[in-house]
Formats: sequence, C-alpha cells, structure tokens
Amino acid sequence: MAQARTVTRSEGREARIGSGARVRGRIHGDGDLVVEGHVEGDLAIRGDLTIAEGASVTSKVVEAQTVTIAGTLEGDLAASGPVRLVSGARVRGNLRGSAVAIDDGARFSGRLDCEFELPPELGGTSRNESRGRTGAATRR
Amino acid sequence: MASTVIGAGITVEGEITTDEDVVVAGTVRGKLSAKEGVTIEHGATVEADVSGGSLVVAGALTGNVTVTERVDLQQGARVIGNVKAARVTIADGAQFKGNVDMDV
Repeated sequence: MAQARTVTRSEGREARIGSGARVRGRIHGDGDLVVEGHVEGDLAIRGDLTIAEGASVTSKVVEAQTVTIAGTLEGDLAASGPVRLVSGARVRGNLRGSAVAIDDGARFSGRLDCEFELPPELGGTSRNESRGRTGAATRR
Repeated sequence: MASTVIGAGITVEGEITTDEDVVVAGTVRGKLSAKEGVTIEHGATVEADVSGGSLVVAGALTGNVTVTERVDLQQGARVIGNVKAARVTIADGAQFKGNVDMDV
C-alpha cells in the first residue's frame, strides 16, 4: 500500500525564486521568500524577504517583515520589521521599517520612514516619525 | 536541488519563466514555463499552462501541459487539461480529465 514518494517536500515554508527565474505578476502569502532571480510586480508576504546579490525586484510596493537586500530594488518598501541594505545593494524608492540599516557600499536613493518611540525623558509618549527627507540619501 | 520553490503559503499570480527546476507547494495562477523539471506537490494548486522538460504532479493542476520528456501523475494528483508529452504515466489514485498527446 505504501507508495514510494518521489515527490520531495520542500522543507518549511520557504519560497525561492531561483537565479534563472523571472516572475511577472503578483506574489503574496505567508512564509519567507528568497529572490535570486527577477521579479516584476507587487510583492506582499507575511514573512521575511531576502533579495540576494544579483537579484532584482521591480515593484510598486513591497511588503514583508524582516527585509535584507543585497541586490536591486526599484520601488517602495514597507517592512513591519527591520530592513538592512548590505554592501552592493541598490535601492531606488522609499523605505519604511521598524529599523533601517544601510551598510557601507550600499546605494540608496529615496525617502526613509522609520518609526520609533522617544524615551519619556524627551517627552515622547507617542510614536514619532523621522523622515530622512529629500530625494537622495546615497551612501557609497 | 530545486532552484525555484513556491512555498506552501505563497501565491503567485502571473507568469513564471525559468531555465531551471520549479517546485510548487503553494498556488500559481497564470503561466509556468521551465526548461527543466516541474514538480507540483501534494496540496499545491496550479491554475496555469505548464511547459517544461518534465512534470511530476501530486497536487491539483488545471491547465494545458506541454513537456518535452515525461509527465508523471502521481497518486492524489488531480489534473484537468490536455497533456502533450513523449511519455505519460498516470498512477492509481490519480484523477485526470483531458486529452493525452504522445505525438505518435
């Protein structure tokens, strides 16, 4: 009765767009996503997003939790968790995250929205928003 | 190792094009073109025309299939659509509705 299973189960809930792959359209759902290839279209996941070196994402809006970018992102990013641009990343668009880190060697042009809470001694009881305004905050 | 994996919770609406393998455990609607193997796992839903080198289905597939090598419909598979491939196997317990074209 027991049949040999030739279908291998992909472990966990990870999803991966391989380096030879191109997705045109919308990607959404639960779970982590690693992009090594190319994605054109909106991306909204409840999970962590990694845009690997050599990968590119062109999107009006990208939504995810923790986001790590080593590749190219064209479009706005709204992360509920921290965002990290590692060396070699190229991002053109507005970034929002609970924290944003831009490593040396990353290139970024856009607006930075980062919410934080001021300590009470500075009179902060509610959420404040820092806006690293103006079009280009490019770091090399 | 699968190069592209659409995880169980993930939905892709649109077109996936790759020259490597694809494993779908989630949902794909649109079009799926691979040069190598395509695997549709148990629990996955694909509503798309599929092309590739080979295809293994254990989940649900609605769409036409064009594959250069072989198509294996495993137990639990549910396929609605026309299948064009050099070799086709349909396991006991697989559901299939459509035409098979083995190019004889």
